[in-house]
Parts: sequence; structure tokens; C-alpha cells
Amino acid sequence: MTISLSLFLGAVLAAALLVIFLRPFRRPAGMAKTAGPAFNEEMAAELAVPPPPPAKKPAVPALELPAAYGLDRLVLLVRDPYWLYAYWEITATKQEEFDRTYGVSAWQATRPVLRVYDVTGIEFNGQNANSYIDININEQADNWHIPAGRPNRSFCLDLGRRFPDGRFVTLLRSNLVTTPRDDLSECLDEQWMWIEGLYRTYRPQYGISSPLILEEMGAGAGVLPLGISSPGWRGADQDIN
Amino acid sequence: MGVFHLARGYLALVLHAHLPYVRHPEHEHFLEERWFYEAVTETYIPLLQVFERLERDGVPFRLTVSLSPPLVSMFTDPLLQERYTKHLDRLIELSNREAERTRGTPFHDTALMYQHNFHAARRTWHDTYGRNLARGFRRFQDAGRLELTTCAATHGFLPLLMVNPEAVRAQVAVAVDLHRRHFGVAPRGIWLPECAYAPGVDQILNEFGIKFFFTDTHGVLYASHRPRYGVFAPLYCPSGVAVFGRDTESSRQVWSAKEGYPGDFDYREFYRDIGFDLDFGYIKPYIHPDGIRLHTGIKYYRITGTGDHKEPYVPARAVEKAAIHAANFMFNRQLQVDYLSGIMDRPPVIVAPYDAELFGHWWFEGPQWLEFLIRKMHYDQDTVELITPGDYLERFRCNQVAVPCASSWGNKGYNEVWLCRANDWIYRHLHLAAARMTGLADDYPSAGGLLRRALNQAARELLLAQSSDWAFIMNTGTMVDYAVRRTKKHLLNFLGLERQIREHRLEEGWLAWLEETNNIFPDLDYSCYRSSREKAARAG
Repeated sequence: MTISLSLFLGAVLAAALLVIFLRPFRRPAGMAKTAGPAFNEEMAAELAVPPPPPAKKPAVPALELPAAYGLDRLVLLVRDPYWLYAYWEITATKQEEFDRTYGVSAWQATRPVLRVYDVTGIEFNGQNANSYIDININEQADNWHIPAGRPNRSFCLDLGRRFPDGRFVTLLRSNLVTTPRDDLSECLDEQWMWIEGLYRTYRPQYGISSPLILEEMGAGAGVLPLGISSPGWRGADQDIN
Repeated sequence: MGVFHLARGYLALVLHAHLPYVRHPEHEHFLEERWFYEAVTETYIPLLQVFERLERDGVPFRLTVSLSPPLVSMFTDPLLQERYTKHLDRLIELSNREAERTRGTPFHDTALMYQHNFHAARRTWHDTYGRNLARGFRRFQDAGRLELTTCAATHGFLPLLMVNPEAVRAQVAVAVDLHRRHFGVAPRGIWLPECAYAPGVDQILNEFGIKFFFTDTHGVLYASHRPRYGVFAPLYCPSGVAVFGRDTESSRQVWSAKEGYPGDFDYREFYRDIGFDLDFGYIKPYIHPDGIRLHTGIKYYRITGTGDHKEPYVPARAVEKAAIHAANFMFNRQLQVDYLSGIMDRPPVIVAPYDAELFGHWWFEGPQWLEFLIRKMHYDQDTVELITPGDYLERFRCNQVAVPCASSWGNKGYNEVWLCRANDWIYRHLHLAAARMTGLADDYPSAGGLLRRALNQAARELLLAQSSDWAFIMNTGTMVDYAVRRTKKHLLNFLGLERQIREHRLEEGWLAWLEETNNIFPDLDYSCYRSSREKAARAG
């Protein structure tokens, strides 16, 4: 009885605090609703420790996306002709599986490595890459900008562990990507004659668009997307001139 | 075709109009909504007025305007229409006061210009188009003056979404559907957000009957096979969709602030706005209610020079400059066509795409320049003819085939602006959400009632999270907080809905609130996310 009474009182208190907490927000509904599912499920825990009342007008509450989704995956993206980007998630299950297969402290004894395969023009089977490079990464990393260094080539990525004896074990394999060209193709259609003059005036001149003009005109002032720019629009939390 | 063409070459002017979806019913004075209001007053209304004057004077023209689905959705949204009406009324009130205040000063002529412009804007807004500017663009489409193209549903950066082809397919499907509803016909062309292309995107465009898209210069020049005509003729992708590459020379003349026209010292200075310059007590009613100074749109100075010293703006001198620059642009295009047509065995097409918001908002005199250009091209020469890509393809059906090079028109020419350390974290969430949306569409193939509403809203939240604008803003380093919040908020909304759907415990109140708040694409059908495999299985 005592427990349920205190729970009930706690509930009333928490509800009251919640109302107080949310009222001064500009966007209360959105924030509250965003967190909606969590409230329903974690009622008891929330009630046991009611949040302290905010000292003054609180900042807009932080929005937190899940740190992990419980899904083993390694995704490779192209940034430009010379760089790739990869992100990944390894679940605890995967980690335990590794230890079960390679010995109790196998994870501890190994180091994480990204293996970047050049798979241009082949049907990659894990063994037949044209070449590969290894990148040692740290245990905490869950993404990496990769200097692949070669335009117009296809790449695939393994995330794996290396044993002290040099043995490499693949944990995850990525999708396959191809870097863009950064020059004219050498493939000239056989029947067609090449007209040199067409290219007379062309000098690579990337990004003559919003980003460039904003750099030139804006001098670092506030920038709105796509040419709409207005240095005066500031968030309420920023300094006001 | 038996048509006799006098022109020896073509100019395809393309205006890409887009703003992210910034509708915030939760707050009366939302700073980011002003992006929309300012662009309406300074860009979209002035452009429509240019078209009206040309039509009135019997000057034929042919332009391509890309209207992004978020922009079309904002044009047609009653809340934003209502709010813009109030905004414009306040602006008119301010311009009336300014006309009085500046009497006897060098700013008076400019103040009268603003007063006149804003009153004219009100007539255009209310009387001509009934507060819905989409009607204006449709009117000139129906009159044969504009070719309207669509854009991806929420301006998603498609190459980085291709990890989930279904997500790209949905961006296109929703856009084409919305375009058809508002403009009566399916779009022949699409503006790929940020001109960003990667092989494979064209195949999805082809599924929706899209005939052409644009890339930056190197997207065409660096194609798999060297293009015989450079960027002065389109290529066909192997899928059959045509690609037009941007001309560097005409772009630079307009885009570059240093070498280009907009930096001329007689043109209006963007950064000196009375919202910042005038006494706080006087300007307070016309800035943000919290006292945040902002751009009102009334600016009295000309660029003057490279330093901080600014002289008063002289409207007549600026108009004269716009005319001179229009003549210069035309002259250069004539030279270009003369040269190119001498070495090509077909008339060259010069593709000159610009962000529409450059005209009027950034480059205040831009709409006037455009009007002068069109008039001069009509009256003063017959070397260059205005054309749209769709029309070009009807005249020249045979084109070279090659795979365009993955590219964008952003800084450095590829994906880095939208995939750098400032914004790379978004993709793990966007890709996961897209995969889960397809999972939902496959698992609940013919939902009805509340479940259907939840599935549709989940798709809306995903689409809104995918706007390339958020990644772009994160990269620019200003207004970052807003972009981060929008990304996270829509993703969390999606994840919340997905969980409620999977756990069979939908909260109707929350769903209704989301539908009300993030109300883009009322006609969206979530089944556009179904996987190809599922689609094939169902068809078979």
C-alpha cells in the first residue's frame, strides 16, 4: 500500500513537473510527442526519479538519435574521385560470436582494421581483388573518411580484426562503389571524329553555384540554403547585435 | 520536322526555385519561415511580374523553371498564405513610413521604389494569383512560355540516398505526382537536387517518364565516352534519359560575385538593411517580436566599392546597369554561338542554370536583367534563340549515348559539401530509416484507416529528414542548430511511428498532431516505398 501510494504521489508530482517543464517551450508539442513512446514505456523509472525543476527558462530539449540500431552493417559511400566514406555498426552478438569462434579473449587480442579492396572490373569473391590497402583504426571509431586515391575505380570494404600474427578476419563486408572520373574519358566513339575546338574554353571550374557566390559575397556571414542568404537571421540563442 | 529555324544556336535559361519546407504552425513568428516570405517578395513575385510585362507587350519567350515540391507545397499552403499576407502588410506599412521619413534625403527615391514594389507585390499576390503563386507559374506554362520541371520530393541528395534505391524512387514518385496535381501535366524534366547525379539515378527517372535532367559541366564532359559536342548538346544515358550539362562561361558571368554582374558597384548592397541600421525603437515593430534584428528587405545603399564605405543607392543607375549587363550577356552568347556553330554540325545549345533566388533576393536587379535580356534577344538579334531542353529534344532526337559522370554543382564538384565531417553522421540514420520504411511498405501492403495514416506520415517524416538543405546548412556553419534539429526531429518522428506501427499501438493524438504540423504531401501513398522484389512478386 505504502509503495503504491508513494508511486501515485510520485506520478502526480512528475506530471506536474512535466507540465511546468514543457510550458515555456516554444515547440512543446513537438518535443513532447517526439519523446512520446519513451514516456509510455518507461513510466515507472521516470516516476521514481522525478526530474529536478528547471532553474529558469530552459533551453530547447536535446534530441537524441539512437547510438546504435542493433544491426550489423558496413556502408560505403563515395565522397569524390579520391575519397570514400564508410560507417558501420557491430552488435554485441557479433562480438561474442567472434570470441566463441576464435577464443575467449580473441576480441581483446586483435585490432580493428579497414581493408579497402580495389575490385575494378571483376566479380569480387573476397579473394580476387586487384589490390587492397589496410587502414588501422581505433576501437571507438564507427565511421571513417578513406583516402582511396583513385578516380574511376571500384571499391569494396571489409571491416575486420587483425591478430598479432598478422591474420585478418573479416567481420563485415560493404556494398561496392565506384569513384567518379576527374578528367575526360579516353573512350572516343569509333565512328565519331573528335572536335578539339569544343573544349577550347573549358577549364575545370567546380562549384560555380550557391556555395561559391556565398563564399565570395558572404565573407562568412549567415547563409541560407541555395542562394538565399541573410546574415541577420539568428537563432534566439545567439548573440544579438 | 519541316520547321525552318533562323537561329544558329540556342540558349536554355533554367531557374531552379527551391526552399526547404519551413512551415511552423507551432509558433507565430518563426525566423526560418521568413526565408519563404523574403523569397516570395523579392524573387518569385518579381519574376512573375517580368513574365506578365513580357506577355503584355507581346514579347515571346521560352524559359525553364524548376519548382521544387517543398516550394510548391508552401505556395499552396493556407497557413503560409495567411502569414505571408500579414507579413506583406507589415512591410507595406513600413515602406509607407519610410517614404515619409526619408523625404528630403538621398534615400527618398529608393524608399518610393520599395513602397511602389510592395504595393505592386500585394496586387500580384491577392488580385492576380489569389495568394497562390503556383497558379502564376502554371498560367505561363499553359501559355507556352515556361517549361516547368520538378525536383526530388524534398530536395534529397540522391547519390547519397542510392544505398536504398527505394528511397530515391519515392523521392521521384512523390515529386512527379505532386507536379501533375498542381500543373496538370507530368513533368518532362527534373532538376536533380544540387545537380547531383550518380549512375543509376537516371534509370529511376526513366521509370517515371522523365525525359531529361541537368548536371554540372563535368557531369557531361567526364562521361564514360567523350562527348562529341562537349556540353553543347545533350547526351542520352543508356536508360534513354537525356542529360544537359551546364555551360561554364555563362554561369560565371552571372554567378560570380567578383567577375560577374551582381557585384557591380551600382547594384544594391545586400548587407545594409534598415532592420540593422535604424534606431531600435523605430524598427522594433517590424523585426522579430523578441527584438532580434533581421533583414526587412529595405536596403538603401549600393555596393559602392570593396570597402565598408557605402553610398546611397540610385535606382535609375542600377536599371541602366542591368540593361548594359543584359546586352553584354547577349553579346557573349552570340559570340559563343557564332564560334560553336562554325565547328559543330548542328546548332549548339547553351545551358545556363541558376538558383532562382539569386534573382531579386541576392541580386536585386536580377529580374530586371532577365527582362532586358529577353527583350533584347527578341528585338535585336537572330543568332540565338531561347529554348527549353524538352523542346530541344523534340527537334534533335538523335544524340550520343554515354554514362554521365557522378557529380554535383557544389564546391569541388562532387559530394563533399553534403558528406563531410560536419554532416556525415546523418547518413547512418537516413539509410536505416529508409530501409525500415521499405520494410513497412512491404509488410503492410494494403493498410487502411489509422494504420494507413501512420504509414503515410512515417513516409513524410522520412522525406523531410532527407532534405539536402540540412546537410548543406550544417556544412556552412550558420543556422546549424536548426538544421540539426530538423534532421533529428523528423528521424525521431519516423522512428516513433515505425515502433508504434510494429507494436500495434498507434497513438491517434500524436499522429494527428504530426499530420497537422508536418503536413507536406497530403496525397502521398506510402506504397511508393515498396521494394522492387515485392512489387514484382505482386505483379506476378
